Amino acid sequence: MRAYRVSMVLAGVCVIAFGLHGLVNDPQIAEPADILVWALSAVVVHDGLWLPLACLGGALLARSTAPRFVLIAAASVTAVALPAVLREDADHGNPTLLPLSYQHHLLLLLGACAAVAGAAWTVERLRRRRSARGEDEVSSRRRPSRRSR
Amino acid sequence: MNTEFFRRGPFREGAFPSRLHEPRSAVVLGRWLGSALVVCLATGLISHALQEGSGPLPSRPVNGYRVTQGLHVISGLAMIPLLGAKLWTVYPRLFEWPPVRGVLHALERLGVALLVAALLLEVFTGLLNTVQWYPWPFPFRETHYWLAWTAAGGLLLHLGAKAPTIAEHWRRRGPEVPGRRGFLTAVAASVGLVTLTTAGQTVPWLGRFNLFGARSPDFGPQGLPVNRTAEQAGTVEIPEDWRLTVKGPDQVRLTLADLEAMPQYTARLPIACVEGWSFSAEWTGVRLRDLLDLVGLPEDAAVKITSLERRGYFRTSEMAASYARDPLTLLALKVNGEPLAPDHGYPARIIAPNRPGVLQTKWVKTLEAL
Repeated sequence: MRAYRVSMVLAGVCVIAFGLHGLVNDPQIAEPADILVWALSAVVVHDGLWLPLACLGGALLARSTAPRFVLIAAASVTAVALPAVLREDADHGNPTLLPLSYQHHLLLLLGACAAVAGAAWTVERLRRRRSARGEDEVSSRRRPSRRSR
Repeated sequence: MNTEFFRRGPFREGAFPSRLHEPRSAVVLGRWLGSALVVCLATGLISHALQEGSGPLPSRPVNGYRVTQGLHVISGLAMIPLLGAKLWTVYPRLFEWPPVRGVLHALERLGVALLVAALLLEVFTGLLNTVQWYPWPFPFRETHYWLAWTAAGGLLLHLGAKAPTIAEHWRRRGPEVPGRRGFLTAVAASVGLVTLTTAGQTVPWLGRFNLFGARSPDFGPQGLPVNRTAEQAGTVEIPEDWRLTVKGPDQVRLTLADLEAMPQYTARLPIACVEGWSFSAEWTGVRLRDLLDLVGLPEDAAVKITSLERRGYFRTSEMAASYARDPLTLLALKVNGEPLAPDHGYPARIIAPNRPGVLQTKWVKTLEAL
């Protein structure tokens, strides 16, 4: 285990050094500091803004499996589709780039997610109510027998 | 001084109530994310080598680049839900108390910060490149390449540092945490959904589910999208006296009629773009090797191809002899039975098997030995 860990760490440090050296010395990259700023911004936005929102949303809306399932799917598709949605109307001089109705597609998919979440929520509620009623019946049947004892 | 005074907000004990912030979920998600990263890195390096013209450059399999670059973007997009889920799972670790427990612990945390930063920016720049959107001040290709190495190194370091935890939770121990299976299934299903709604830009039988792919074969002249239009390249109008110049020990200048009079061949070859989309078409034209033989270029000569384009990184391309001599490599004059549309490179373009789209030079003006 120790040899494995030491060699992985050493290899990792070497490869990181190779990558950073390339970033700093590539003749095409005029300002490596720009990349640092963008990388730090990515972390700040993701860990400081998105993840607190995701945790909050999860705690409020996704307490059981079905809504959590749908929220994860919706967030994933939105993240992947967002650049296409934002750039759909931009004039990029190439009509074959982003030719689809991405905004409509995303709305459609999110609508489908909401419908699935709604259906799952309803089914879960009905099932809970039915099982609650079932327990009532069981307990009401038991009660007289307890009394007779 | 009492450091507990600073232990507030997310640093509090029990600030994250979900039971799913636990190591087994992190290990399972880490395996998936790591696998996607390995596929993405390997296919990315193949693409880099092909574009740089370094290493072995086989012209087969015909669909090689189509598959590797398609996988590059598919695995890269798959990393978006995987990275999101992984980082959510380990989020409380960002606020662990005390924040630093010594030099090694500090270095490990620094390594994680580097890995996360490099991966986030890598995935972000890759995603935006698929829609040709470059809001940042640095060049995409070089940055994406070097960041990939940085992230790969960060992953090795992370695997070394976390080895005991990974080994401990490689298999499930004890009872299943409630909700874990559902959570992992949801993440896997999200990867499936993302793939299903984007991979149609490269996998033909997924075309009908292509909701978010940046290209579609239904849009584009002659049923084929393009990366750069004739208008963007300034090649809408072709000079009346256009001739193809082939330079070798001898030199010829051929009109379009001359080219059409030579033996014509048809090959079904893909246009496979670095941005992850690809579509196949029937290309008809002259074999490149016939043209090279015409001027007596040796079998092992690499070829430089120059376009009518006035500017742009891919105005010229270099082609190794392995491609230039492949019987499937054409100077195409037609696509799907029609003369090339201006956007596809009228009057003549290069099309070769297993080759990145940006190197399939359009509006060809000159062929010469490198």
